[in-house]
Amino acid sequence: MNHFEEEDFTASKFDVSVWRQLLAFLKPLRKELFLALSIASLLAVSDVGYPLLNRYGIDTIIASGDFTGLPLFIGIYVGYMIGIGLLVFGFIHLAGKVQTHLAYFIREKAFLKLHQLPYSYYDQTPVGWIMARMTSDSRKLSDILAWGLIDLTWGLLMMVGLSIAMLVVNVKLGLIVLTALPLLVFLSFYFRIKILKAYRAIRKQNSKITGSYNEMLGGAKTTKTLVLEEQNFQDFEKLTSSMRRHSVRVAIFSGLYLPSIIFVSSLSTALVFYFGGLDVASGVITIGTLYVFIAYVGQFFDPVMNLANILARFQEAQASAERIISLIDAPIEIEDTDEVKAVYGTLYQPLKENWESLKGQITFEDVTFKYQNGETVLSHFNLDVKKGTSVALVGQTGAGKSTIVNLVCRFYEATSGRILIDGKDIKDRSVSWLHSNLGYVLQDPHLFSGTILENIRYGRLNATDEECMHAATLVDADHFIKTFDKGYLSEVGEGGSLLSVGQKQLISFARALLADPKILILDEATSSVDMETEQSIQKAIDVVMKDRTTFIIAHRLSTITKANRILVLENGKIIEDGTHQILINQNGHYQTLFKNQFKRRQSEALMS
Amino acid sequence: MKKLRQFTRFMKGQIHWYLLSLFLIFILQYFRTLVPLFTQHVIDVIFGNGESSLPDFIANLLVGDTITQALILVAVFSILFTLVRMGLIFARNVINAMFTEGVAFRLRNKLYDHLQNLSTDYHSHAETGDLIQRVTTDVETYKTFIGEQLVEVVRMVSLLAFAIYQMAVMDIPMMLVSTAIAPVVFFVSFLYFNKVKNVFTEVEESEGTMTTTVQESMTGVRVVKAFNNEIYEVNKFENHSVDFRDKSYKLITLMAYFWAGTDVLIFGQYMATAVYGIVRVTEGTLATGEFIAFLALLGLIVWPIRQLGRIIADSGKTSVSLDRMEEILEQISEYDNEPDTHIDIKGDIVFKNVSFKFSDDTKHLLKDISFTVKPGETVALIGRTGSGKSTLLKLLLRLYEIDQGEILVEGRPIQSIHKKSLRSQMGMVLQEPFLYSRSVFDNIRIMNRAIEPAKVEAAASIASVHQDIKQFEKGYDTLVGERGVTLSGGQKQRLAIARMLLEDKPVLMFDDSLSAVDTETDRKIREALDTTWKNATVFIITHRITTAMEADKIIVLDQGQIIQQGTHDELLGQEGLYQRLWAIQTDRQEETFKEGL
Repeated sequence: MNHFEEEDFTASKFDVSVWRQLLAFLKPLRKELFLALSIASLLAVSDVGYPLLNRYGIDTIIASGDFTGLPLFIGIYVGYMIGIGLLVFGFIHLAGKVQTHLAYFIREKAFLKLHQLPYSYYDQTPVGWIMARMTSDSRKLSDILAWGLIDLTWGLLMMVGLSIAMLVVNVKLGLIVLTALPLLVFLSFYFRIKILKAYRAIRKQNSKITGSYNEMLGGAKTTKTLVLEEQNFQDFEKLTSSMRRHSVRVAIFSGLYLPSIIFVSSLSTALVFYFGGLDVASGVITIGTLYVFIAYVGQFFDPVMNLANILARFQEAQASAERIISLIDAPIEIEDTDEVKAVYGTLYQPLKENWESLKGQITFEDVTFKYQNGETVLSHFNLDVKKGTSVALVGQTGAGKSTIVNLVCRFYEATSGRILIDGKDIKDRSVSWLHSNLGYVLQDPHLFSGTILENIRYGRLNATDEECMHAATLVDADHFIKTFDKGYLSEVGEGGSLLSVGQKQLISFARALLADPKILILDEATSSVDMETEQSIQKAIDVVMKDRTTFIIAHRLSTITKANRILVLENGKIIEDGTHQILINQNGHYQTLFKNQFKRRQSEALMS
Repeated sequence: MKKLRQFTRFMKGQIHWYLLSLFLIFILQYFRTLVPLFTQHVIDVIFGNGESSLPDFIANLLVGDTITQALILVAVFSILFTLVRMGLIFARNVINAMFTEGVAFRLRNKLYDHLQNLSTDYHSHAETGDLIQRVTTDVETYKTFIGEQLVEVVRMVSLLAFAIYQMAVMDIPMMLVSTAIAPVVFFVSFLYFNKVKNVFTEVEESEGTMTTTVQESMTGVRVVKAFNNEIYEVNKFENHSVDFRDKSYKLITLMAYFWAGTDVLIFGQYMATAVYGIVRVTEGTLATGEFIAFLALLGLIVWPIRQLGRIIADSGKTSVSLDRMEEILEQISEYDNEPDTHIDIKGDIVFKNVSFKFSDDTKHLLKDISFTVKPGETVALIGRTGSGKSTLLKLLLRLYEIDQGEILVEGRPIQSIHKKSLRSQMGMVLQEPFLYSRSVFDNIRIMNRAIEPAKVEAAASIASVHQDIKQFEKGYDTLVGERGVTLSGGQKQRLAIARMLLEDKPVLMFDDSLSAVDTETDRKIREALDTTWKNATVFIITHRITTAMEADKIIVLDQGQIIQQGTHDELLGQEGLYQRLWAIQTDRQEETFKEGL
């Protein structure tokens, strides 16, 4: 339901620092923005000038009684027409450029940042949250920054221009019309802001309704077995009727907005009729001038309503701005030192020529790891893994298996102590260097949408088709891939949804093998697969493990009997350490675990 | 005609309000076209000696002896006139809002109620995302159409009609010149918006692709990092992001051409009116005030006419939305045509040669199932995954309907008893129970909100979930679901058991829900069964021999058929699945590894 809910606003006050940071994004577009703002200003001037053009027609040509002024009038009109066309085109085109490019810059900046953030960031941040920043927030912001700024300029200039024009044309009438301005401004802002707030409440109601639908669909079966239909429906009806009440109330309120503006406008017009009319009668002003004032009263309301609208939108967009800034400013946490960067390069500009090869000896020296909430997972942990050996980690959830692996991968940073790779502190070389020597086979392997071939190639982007297929053959994946109509070119679906878990695992083995990593992490799957696939996976594990420093987080003990070393962990401590042969003959934890699991698996085999 | 029926079916009983709202819109447009005529009146009647274009009943009120008096009359009257307009506009807004919100309210409820009552089969095949789209976006589309777009069309058409009428009353050739370009603007808009729809789709698709790329990159971030493929990801994203940017830019550029082009056309219309008008005024065949009124009337119609083109081009969307909602409502509710028989169930259940398959499947999930259960008996169902155990229980609840054979409950064919009567007396704990997004507390007492807290906690204790709940920060007030705490599968099952423990049901069914808890809890719950539900007839699906052995009757299923049936002692004496399971499981020790590994 999370992504349906609009997040609350953090601040209602205008936060200058947030907007200043965002304005920095506009820098590369300042030329376009400046041009667009200039055009908006010209448009405002043209809008102000239009009634004057007609006045010329009324006062000069008609009054003169002949058509000598007509060609000039037509000429100006044609020029005006073409000018407006060009200005409108330029204005939309430029604003469009600013809008689309700004959104693009924000997205790019955020995306680059996202991949620099440590893995722990993703433990705490739901993907839905990130997606909302990348889509709706960046859209909202670029929208308001591009069009909002331009509309703001146009609106302000238009108001100023109209005021000046009125005062110049006739001071008395001008002042009379301008008295309505404060009332107008007050009404617009009052209504706009109230309406905006009310709509926010309605959106919340709406997301509750969506959530309720979602729940009804997800829980249909349970609802039927518990016969809760009527109760659920009553609850839902409470939501929809509250929504209805709210919406009607807002509609009634906002239904007053336009009429009250129209009323103010008619008051001004009436005053113009009276005072302007008296002036016409006494010959102080012409009919054309009276026309200009009546036209101006009509034109005056647009920019005021517009300004209120834009300011309300800016206020609303501030929440988006804050969230985007919080993403872009998120601390990277695990970052290479400047010395390391100087030699190894950065994530996006690696200096690969300086990268030495990794052999695969891994040492934990007095390593302690605590989560941010203070929970200690490892304390003073020591371990030495020779290059090319395979180490299986066995133990309950929370024993520290994943933490060890995450530390080796530098997904997490040790709270204290050192981790050495080939005898050198892990922090003395870049994260990218480490990761480029890493292979990872996940519990629930993640595939990207695309073909099987593309997914295998993800292990090494410059691999040829043959190399990919060869890797697949080695892990026995070739087998099932060939049964597909399109073979290696079959689509795997989003997240690999078109394949079974077992098939996804085999592909991720091929992917890891293709990468030919020096360090391999296997997070073995808990989910059951059929016997045949299981055999293939067992074979694949044996193949990829060979001659590599391998860590296996084992769930099925049968798969790790060939590991060089088995570590049984409990509360972050190694309680047993040895090969399968040694441990199975000790009267310890491993033996008990192994026996129990053996029985359970036999009984499972019988039942499935 | 079908479209019209479809369109009005959700307005039943309320349509007169809608017609009133549309009528008010119509009248208001007439009033609106009167506004420029006040100016005409001032200029031509007060300062000239022409005729007022205002209707007589108004013009007659504005006759003053002096210019000052006449001006005051116009000023005051125009304000009064606006007040009337204001009142009508406001009334119209209120009527319209009450009507459209009412329609949306009923439509939402109807969809909810209807969907909820569709068959289990429908729900297992339905795509939640698509349905959600229909009940939210499609309802919104329809609401916007009746509440805004259609109103807008009526507004525009009436405005056009009245404006043309007022122009014609003043001067027909002038009217013709002043409306010459308007149809062109309309057609250009219509054609443009029709054509640009494809570009819109392209932009949407491009955004979709980009979004998917980001989403995948985020969900697979561990893989990205582990293979050091960040640069590759950035490049991939970059391509989609640029594509989206360029396509949106292209769309906006098209818009720029459209708005600029139509602006030129509109000013062309103004020019034609202005030039012709000036010529006529100079010739003396048109009054100055009339000329100015023409300019103002023109302004009323010529700008919004672009919008009209857009609405008509977009109206296809509403039709699609209506069809999609209709599709849901056409499905038959599972409670339609139910017999109105409610009986007291004691637990006398007979299966006679029952077979079942899904309509879209050829393979039978259950074949020729026959057995008898007496009230108060406990029946254990054992069999491999996919052997049909759960299906069998679902048939008893009529979540699925049998195709062959007969199920008798209390001696009556199951189809002759109302589904709700069956379901409310047979409590089932599903293998994957669903928890509602409310507090843990309310989830446990979901079937009876009047139950006191002590009883809820007692039930939770028996189900071994009390300790878990206490560990949550907010205890029993913890919200369940995506906005709250995510419970593990085992916790959910135990919560569902606690939920059932509060109920006094003659028949209980545990769909593998006891084997998910550890043996200790399993034992405790079965003890509770003996006390809380001592007269209940119980069905237990289990993998655990120790659970099954205590049952009065054990049914062993394989590939949809009963292969063994009898008491523990009887089955132990027969060679078969039961005997082999017994052999493996009896010497197994505590399953300490089960959760941990």
